[in-house]
Amino acid sequence: MIVCNDLVLGYNTPITPKFNLTIEDNQWIGIIGKNGVGKSTFLKTILGNLTPVSGSLTILNQVPGASNRQISYIPQEREINLSDYMSGISLIMSSYQGWKWGLPWHNSKLNQQVLELIDLVGASSYANQPFNTLSGGQKKRIYLAQALINQPRLLLLDEPLADLDPHAKQHFIQSLQKIQQSRELGVLIISHDMHEIAEHLDAFIHFTTSGVHFCQTIECVKEDSYVGI
Amino acid sequence: MWAYDFMRNALMSGLIIASICAIVSVFIILRRSAFAAHALGHMSITGAAGAGLCGISAFSGQLYLNILAAIVIGIMSDKVKKNDLAVGVVLTFVLGLGVYFLFLFQNNYAGGVMSILFGNIFAVSHQQLKQLIGLASIILVTLGIVLRPLWFSSLDPIVARSKNIPLRSLSIIFLLIIAITVSMACQIVGALLVFVLLIIPGAIALQWGQSLGTIMLISFFSANCAVIGALVIAYYANLPASFCITMLLCGGYFIGVVKNYLQSI
Repeated sequence: MIVCNDLVLGYNTPITPKFNLTIEDNQWIGIIGKNGVGKSTFLKTILGNLTPVSGSLTILNQVPGASNRQISYIPQEREINLSDYMSGISLIMSSYQGWKWGLPWHNSKLNQQVLELIDLVGASSYANQPFNTLSGGQKKRIYLAQALINQPRLLLLDEPLADLDPHAKQHFIQSLQKIQQSRELGVLIISHDMHEIAEHLDAFIHFTTSGVHFCQTIECVKEDSYVGI
Repeated sequence: MWAYDFMRNALMSGLIIASICAIVSVFIILRRSAFAAHALGHMSITGAAGAGLCGISAFSGQLYLNILAAIVIGIMSDKVKKNDLAVGVVLTFVLGLGVYFLFLFQNNYAGGVMSILFGNIFAVSHQQLKQLIGLASIILVTLGIVLRPLWFSSLDPIVARSKNIPLRSLSIIFLLIIAITVSMACQIVGALLVFVLLIIPGAIALQWGQSLGTIMLISFFSANCAVIGALVIAYYANLPASFCITMLLCGGYFIGVVKNYLQSI
């Protein structure tokens, strides 16, 4: 699904050393590393928003950016411009094939699909409420439903657990579990709370200043004390 | 009152402009482009004053200048974050030119400038009505093509960018739509009050509506009802139509404010 050959990431100047990686289809991968070592840069490069400093990268057998409509991205920082009365459902609806030209016609099949997704992420009780009145944790589950509406093959999550209290984190992780059980898709998740979701992940990528390592268990990054395990 | 030709023209032009402003105003608010809309309204004055240099009508002058300014602002702005700095720089440059044009043509073109500044819906001719229908058709066709990605990228620009939506091109297209809409709206409310049609219908709609469909419908009805009501009041009470449109729309907005306040207590 993702193949990196002698890849060096950065903003014109290198942030990471040269590395090689192969990530198979439908794997759930945790991305770990200290701030500034290139974790978010990796996701942005996958999306084609940044060009690699050197080396090559293919995603879903295509160059970065070419397969973005099969990838959903939940960024760490959002800029959501909903009015006070617009609900989470409006946000999800707007995202459905939002790249297509023309008018946004919505049919009953789409409505049903949205309701199923909202149920899957556990947001049924508040998805119709004004989005701006929701808590941080509730908004993140709406973002999750939004990310799934276009049935992606790959989901990129940048710090989805940041700023959540333990209760909200638990709810979000439960939503991720349900998605893992019901859908076939690959996931790359950056988190500083990796110990809380490690049991649901197939492997880990450890970004350090000295190298980028692929590990089958979280044990291999234990020495990085900030991981908290 | 509808027996008079000028009243029928006023009604037709008012409904056309109100309908376009109703749609555009929702996006202006959601995309936080109010400053761009405000600036393009002010730039209309320079366009009208500069029209004398080229020997064209004040309306054509403001239309061409607004289109040019919209393209420049679009190119200078950031893709995701709206860049008020670009609007401010272009606005001050264009207003500076406007002062110079008014200095050059203060005697010959004062009428054209005044008509753009204050607008006069009762002075719309058949020729201008045809121009308005043509421009409204261009805007409607363009919106029909870009509405879906425009809606998505207005609500969630960062994720829209990750889906390869051409944000800069969309931004320039939307600024062009604002530029043409401003030029049309100046005909009836004038550059000084153009904001009322470009902001308030959308603001009213966003006080009540939850989905794209209901928001557009509420915006459409508030703008058109305000124009019809204003024409009737202006005719019988002998008041300026632009004043009546402003008061009716602001009244509609304050009803929403009161509703929100009552809901919050």
